[in-house]
Amino acid sequence: MTHYQTELEKLKSICYSNKGQIETVIGTRHYINSNFDQDLNLDLLSHIRFTSKFHLLRLFKKYYGQTPKQYLTDTRLGKAKELLRSGATVTETCFDVGFDSPSSFCTLFKSRAGLSPTEFQKSNFRKV
Amino acid sequence: MKVKVISIPVQDQEKALRFYTEKLGFVKKIDVPLDENNRWLTVVSKEDQDGPEILLEPSPKHFEPAKTYQKALFDAGIPYTQFNADNVQQEYERITSLGVEFSMKPTEMGTVKIAVFNDTCGNNIQIVEML
Repeated sequence: MTHYQTELEKLKSICYSNKGQIETVIGTRHYINSNFDQDLNLDLLSHIRFTSKFHLLRLFKKYYGQTPKQYLTDTRLGKAKELLRSGATVTETCFDVGFDSPSSFCTLFKSRAGLSPTEFQKSNFRKV
Repeated sequence: MKVKVISIPVQDQEKALRFYTEKLGFVKKIDVPLDENNRWLTVVSKEDQDGPEILLEPSPKHFEPAKTYQKALFDAGIPYTQFNADNVQQEYERITSLGVEFSMKPTEMGTVKIAVFNDTCGNNIQIVEML
């Protein structure tokens, strides 16, 4: 066993020994990936995983370093970029990825990507 | 400031280019001669050709501390860097069939699955899949 593998085993026993918790957060992440375009919130996610929302929030943050909401936003913005690259309009993209307000979508997009959705589309447009 | 280039130290740029393109599936992006033996040589992911570039940097050949550091990491089994894969098991099977050697087979580590292989240019490289 290499030094790296030895260290990984230690890390595994310290950080990843609770399989139940890991299954909960992995399941939550998969659910978000499959339903990012829906109206998701912590109440719904915790209900699906049969856990309290505070517990889910704590676990998700523990294992992924971000809240479910932050992960959902990242996922939506990632999908938004794909749609914009393929030629979807800004409005179509906004609603297709689960945002409900084009103006707040544009503001959020620009704050994260450094470009407005329109500017991003112009600089990245590829024909599919 | 933006992150556009990351560097991987390699002992032989031509060998590294062949490995990273023919075995791993990256695509050559920039190849500019600098002097008779060295190039500014980068590759990118085939799926993200406008994304981050990997600079295949011959630092171990020219700078002793880089050679020492690379060897120390390699001997300890520590990956120099990692790449994301949609399915580590599939990538492991694909790359193994091309003759690449793994020091760590696909292993679950909490919320990820990882594997570590030898890039034949002085580095261990890790591939990781989000579970």
